[in-house]
Amino acid sequence: MSKLLRVLQREQCIGCLSCMLACSRSWFAALTVEKAALRIRNYAGVEGAFSIRACYGCLEPDCARACPTGALSNRSGGGVILDVKKCDNCGDCVKACVPKALQWDVEARQPIPCRHCGICTGFCPNAVIGMTDSDAGTNGPDMIKPARKDQ
Amino acid sequence: MATRKFQMMDVNLTTGESGITDISDLFDEFLGGTGVATKLLSEMPPGMDSYSAEAPVIFAIGPFDTIFPVATKTVALFKSPLTGNLGESHAGGRLAMAMYGAGIHVLRIRGRAPTLSYLVIDEETAVVKRANSLKGMSALATERMLRDREDSEFKRSIIRIGPAGERLSPIGEVTVDAARHFGRLGLGGVLGSKNLKAIMISGGKYWKIDNKGQFNIFYKKLYDSVVNSPLMKKYHELGTSVNVIPLSKINGMPTRNFSQGSFEGAREISGERFAEKHLNQQIACAHCQVGCIHVASLRERFSAEDQHYKTFKVSYDHELIYAWGSNLSIGSTEEILRLLLIVEKQGWDAISMGTTLAWTVDAYAHGFIGDKETVGLIPAFGDAKTFEKMLGRIISGHNEFYRSLEKGSVFCARIYGGKEYSIAFGGNEAAGYSTGLWGFLGYATGVRHSHLDAAGYSIDQGNISNPQSDEILTRNLYNESVWRMILNSLVICLFARNVYTKEIILEGLDVLGISGWTEDRLIKTSRHIHALKYKFKEDCGFKFEDQELPGRLLRTVTSSGMLSSERFRTEIDRYKSFIADDRRSLGI
Repeated sequence: MSKLLRVLQREQCIGCLSCMLACSRSWFAALTVEKAALRIRNYAGVEGAFSIRACYGCLEPDCARACPTGALSNRSGGGVILDVKKCDNCGDCVKACVPKALQWDVEARQPIPCRHCGICTGFCPNAVIGMTDSDAGTNGPDMIKPARKDQ
Repeated sequence: MATRKFQMMDVNLTTGESGITDISDLFDEFLGGTGVATKLLSEMPPGMDSYSAEAPVIFAIGPFDTIFPVATKTVALFKSPLTGNLGESHAGGRLAMAMYGAGIHVLRIRGRAPTLSYLVIDEETAVVKRANSLKGMSALATERMLRDREDSEFKRSIIRIGPAGERLSPIGEVTVDAARHFGRLGLGGVLGSKNLKAIMISGGKYWKIDNKGQFNIFYKKLYDSVVNSPLMKKYHELGTSVNVIPLSKINGMPTRNFSQGSFEGAREISGERFAEKHLNQQIACAHCQVGCIHVASLRERFSAEDQHYKTFKVSYDHELIYAWGSNLSIGSTEEILRLLLIVEKQGWDAISMGTTLAWTVDAYAHGFIGDKETVGLIPAFGDAKTFEKMLGRIISGHNEFYRSLEKGSVFCARIYGGKEYSIAFGGNEAAGYSTGLWGFLGYATGVRHSHLDAAGYSIDQGNISNPQSDEILTRNLYNESVWRMILNSLVICLFARNVYTKEIILEGLDVLGISGWTEDRLIKTSRHIHALKYKFKEDCGFKFEDQELPGRLLRTVTSSGMLSSERFRTEIDRYKSFIADDRRSLGI
C-alpha cells in the first residue's frame, strides 16, 4: 500500500524549516528551502502556530485538472506526478490548489509535486509530519485520521 | 568539486547605490562571519563617530549558515555608540538564511538616507524606499506593516528598529523576525542615525551538493547530535531560564542591582514557573531543530471591572528574567512580561535598560538623584508599576533625566553620580551572572563585553568544584575567547558549541569543498581575528587599565565568595599581557 505525507500534529511545529531543507537536499541536491515540495508558513509577530502546506494527496487533484498540457497526472494513491517535458510553465496548477500546498520552483518555473517519499518526516524533530497509509488519506484535510506520535 | 563563492553587497544609503563584490579571498583568509567582518571594520578609521554617515554596519554570515543544523546566526559589526569602540552583536531568526538566499555572505551599509527609509534586498537588487509613515512605529508593528507591503517569492527576513533606535538611543537594539535581536552595544541607534528603519532580504540562490553520500552521512551525524543526544536538551526544554533556581541557590543570580546573588522569589520567576503559567510554544531560527525561543503569553482583562480580555505574547529567557525580575526584585511573572512587552515595542537592549533602572533605585536611595530628576516617582525595588511609568516617561522624553536613562547606566552615573551602582564593564551593562571573579573578568576583557565572549560564569562554576590557580583560570578564559572567534566566524549558535568540535568543523569544511583548513590553521586564524579586534578596540581608546569592578560588587557575596579589586586588577593585567603577546607575535 502506498503512503501519503500527512500533517499529524501541526501545533508541535517550531518553524525550524528542517523538513523543507531535507526535501530540497534530497531531490535537488540543493542547500535551500526554496526547492521543497512543502512549505512552512509563518506570520508576523511572535509566530503562533505555523501553517504547514504539504500536498494533501487528493484523489481528484484540482492542480492536475487545471494543467492545460496534461503535464500533471494522478499519482497512484493520491497526489500528482509531473512530466517536466510537457510543462509549459504557466503556473495554473499552483493557483488551482486552494491551500497553496503545491509549491512552485521559481528557478525552473515549474511546480514541485510532492513524491510522498517521507524524507522530510525523518528530519522533523517534533513528529509534526508523518507518513500514513494512503487509505487513511481523503480528498480533504479535515477528514484526516489523527495519528499517534509514534506512528 | 564546486568552488564556493562568497560575495559582499555594499549599499550606500546616501546615494541609494549598491554593488556586489566577490570577497572569496577574505573568506579564505578569515573563514567568514566575525573574522571577515572584523577585517572589514578594522579598515575604517577608529576615530569615526558611531553615528556618522561613514560608519559602516557590516552584517556577515559564515560558510555553514543555513547548510548545517544550528548554524543560524548573523553577526553585525559596527562602531558601538555605547562603548565607543568595537560594536558586535549576533542574532538568529531567518536573517542568515535570507542573506544566503540573496547570494550575499556580507552586507555592508554606509551613508545616511535623506529621510526615514527601509531597504529591500532581493538577490542582487537593493532599493532604498522612503518610509516616513513608519516614524515612531514599534518594532513589532513595523514587521507586520512591511510583510503586508513587500512581497517576495522567497522566504524573507525582516529586521527593524523601534522608536528607541530612531531616538538614537545607544542601547537601542535591532529586532530580527520573531523575537530575535541584535541586542547589545547599540546597533539600533546606529541604524537610527542612518535613517534606516528596516531591512527586508530574500532570494532563491543556493549551493549545490556535489558529494551526496559524504554530505548525507555528515549531516545525519550532526542532526543526531542536535536532536537525539543530550548535548542541547537544556535549550529545547525549559531553555536558559532553567538556570534561575540553581543560580540563586549558589548565590549567582544577580538580585536588587547585584547587591546579592540569591533571590527569595526565584521559584516564582523560574523557568519552571514560566513554563507552567505562560509558555505558549517554543519556536526556532531557520535550520535549528532545537527551538530555544520561549514564547510566553499573558491573558488579562482590559481592566479589573471589565469582562473584555486581551492576550499578548512576548519571549523570555534567563537574561530577561534577571534584568527585569531578580535584579529589580520583581517576583511576578506577569509584571515581568508586561515590562518586557514595552521593551520589545520600543526596541531597547533589555539587559541594558533593566540594569539602568536598577541603577536608578540605588542612585535615588543614596541621594545621587532625587525628586528634581524623577518628578514625583520614587524608583524602588519590586515596584513594577513605577518602573512602567518610568519607561513611559523615557518614551515621551519627559525631562533630561528620563532622556538620559536610555543612554545606559554608565552615561547616567557620569552625569548624576553613583558610579559604584552602575553594574557595567567596558561601558556595557552586565549580563545575569554573579558567579565570581571570572564571570566579571569575562565581561571586562571580552571583545564585546558580553557574557558570550568567553562564558566566565562557567569557569567560576567549574572552579567551585575543581579549584585551579588564578593563572590557569585566566588562561582558560582567554583560550575560550579565542576559540569562539572560529565559532563566530562560522556563525553557529553558541548553544551548539559542544556539537561543533574542531573535528566536526574541519569535516564540515571538507564536506563543502572549502579546502586548506587544518586544526593548526583554525587556531592561528582565531588568534589573528582576536588580535584584530583588540587592535581596533585599543585604537578607539579602549584601555585594560580603565577596567574596574563596580564598587557595589566589592560588597556582594557571589557564588565564589567576596571579590577583591586587587585580584581583579592582577587578572586584568594578565589578560592584557596575553593580548599584547599575541599582537606582538602576529605583528598586529
